[in-house]
Amino acid sequence: MPLRVEVRRTMARANFYLQKARPVFLRYGLGVVCVAAALGLGLLTQHYGFRDVALPLFLFAVAITAWFAGPGPAALAVVLSIGFFDYFFTEPLYTFYVSRSEIPYLIVFVAFASLVAWFSAVRRRVERDLSQARDRLQAEVKERSEQASLLNLTHDTIFVRNMDFVISYWNRGAQELYGWAAQEAIGKRSDQLLRTIFPAPLDDIHAELLRVGRWEGELKRTKADGTAVVVASRWALRRDEQERPVAILETNNDITERKRREEEIRGLNEELAKRSKELEATNKELEAFAYSVSHDLRAPLRHMAGYAELLQKKVASLLDDKSHRYMTMILESAKRMGNLIDDLLTFSRIGRAETQMTSVSLDQLVKEVLAELRQETHGRDITWKISALPACHGDRSMLRVVLVNLLSNAVKFTSRQPQTKIEIGSADGNKDEIVVFVKDNGAGFDMKYVKKLFGVFQRLHQSDAFEGTGIGLATVQRIIHRHGGEVRAEGVVDQGATFYFSVPKF
Amino acid sequence: MDLLGRILMVEDDPKDVELTLTALEEYNLANEVVVTHDGEEALDYLYSRGKFKTRNSDNPAVILLDLKLPKVDGLEVLQKIKSDEKLKIIPVVVLTSSHEEKDMVASYKLGVNAYVVKPVDFHEFVNAIRELGVFWAIINQAPPGSVRK
Repeated sequence: MPLRVEVRRTMARANFYLQKARPVFLRYGLGVVCVAAALGLGLLTQHYGFRDVALPLFLFAVAITAWFAGPGPAALAVVLSIGFFDYFFTEPLYTFYVSRSEIPYLIVFVAFASLVAWFSAVRRRVERDLSQARDRLQAEVKERSEQASLLNLTHDTIFVRNMDFVISYWNRGAQELYGWAAQEAIGKRSDQLLRTIFPAPLDDIHAELLRVGRWEGELKRTKADGTAVVVASRWALRRDEQERPVAILETNNDITERKRREEEIRGLNEELAKRSKELEATNKELEAFAYSVSHDLRAPLRHMAGYAELLQKKVASLLDDKSHRYMTMILESAKRMGNLIDDLLTFSRIGRAETQMTSVSLDQLVKEVLAELRQETHGRDITWKISALPACHGDRSMLRVVLVNLLSNAVKFTSRQPQTKIEIGSADGNKDEIVVFVKDNGAGFDMKYVKKLFGVFQRLHQSDAFEGTGIGLATVQRIIHRHGGEVRAEGVVDQGATFYFSVPKF
Repeated sequence: MDLLGRILMVEDDPKDVELTLTALEEYNLANEVVVTHDGEEALDYLYSRGKFKTRNSDNPAVILLDLKLPKVDGLEVLQKIKSDEKLKIIPVVVLTSSHEEKDMVASYKLGVNAYVVKPVDFHEFVNAIRELGVFWAIINQAPPGSVRK
């Protein structure tokens, strides 16, 4: 700041404080002192022979008093000056008597002194107003520039433009996002500079902005380097004192990446929906296929078996042993195929059916299954060792299939043992699941084939040794997997096998 | 032997018809069997219309109903029968090739009286048919209004 201005400012401030803040007696004292000083100086100059210096000196004292102490002390100074001047400097000296010839002189003096006092008072007031206005202005400028630098600090993109899109402010965030420097952007039209594509007709947007003072939406824009960018833009309208819209503050956030991800997610969702539709269709087809298999494949089989049986009955007496055996083979094969179809359908149904999870009493289920197997166990010497089993959480009818398969396997593969022992119990599980095992002393299996045990159509025994379709254990595994559990088996050839499965605890 | 009730058989497969009749014949149950070959024909019979216009309007003692039928399928026939005041008292036995649980549940929901899956083994098939015939056509007291001979 220039020194001159600084000095003036200091003077004005001193003046202001003196008038405002100093007590009254000081201000009047100043008037008295000034006038006394003028008197002293006047007497001194007169003593050395200078003439007519006193009057300007008194005027000077009045002016100083008016300037620094205000109108009241100035009036006092005028009165004192007249008194002293009359007493000490006009003929006859040392009296207050005023001769006629001196009267105009004194009137002119009073008028001139009053004018000086008035001028200085006016001058002082103007000066004070000006300095106040300047202080206000300076405070405002300081605040504004602080705000502007704060706006520059933020990462958000902020710029201000007028109603015709002409940019008047452009922060650092804007420069970083759009690649245009402030000096390049200011004065340009934002819609042209950024090649803005609006989401709605501009008239509609402006109508909303004027109505509520705000607008927000997504804008597609182009950066300085030509890359496209999507921003979430918020506009705030600024009005002047007459409520006329003058400027729009735009805050932008780059949402290009988010939009891209949203787009990606939408794409993935669509793909997923398509896939799941396809899957549903496939499932339906599979269901229709299974349905048709269960109906249409079994019917001709039944007919084959039926007519073969009828034929056998009719020509029984004519057939030799070999032909009888052929007939028997036909019938057995038909029956076996019927079982295969049934088992396969059960297996495929497990994959499709909804599970209905409830608390299942395994003790009760074992009892039921044993009753079901009575026909197969009839006439056999079997020692059952059945321990108490805890309740589990599962689909009752599916778990029943598991137990039927495991127990009938145990019964089947011990059929060549003179003394059969079958044990059902629970092994140590963990806190979430229980492990059930079925142990027999039957044909067992070689542990090196254990992996094949649970595959569909995998059999570890020749079919004439033990009947079976090779689907039972695959079904068991599928059911247990659907319960979130595991199956495993241990076995030694001719010494028996143990099957374990885990199911969730209730 | 008690009076023999009339059996209405609804079966589109001629081989199944023949085998079933053979099984029934073996136990002298085949005399009063009426065979219809699809759902529409079965309903025509029950409502005495179409080619059965002139028949005695008595109800059969039991209906042996296949599920997979041309035109009107077995479940639809069952639904018609069980929602008709006059017909719903007739015992209906579904006799089907399929183990399909869905069909069984649907049949029971519609009020079927028995659900039998035809066994592949002919012996078992004959036994099943015989037991059905004996039970429904002889032992069971048919509802009033059904034919007895």
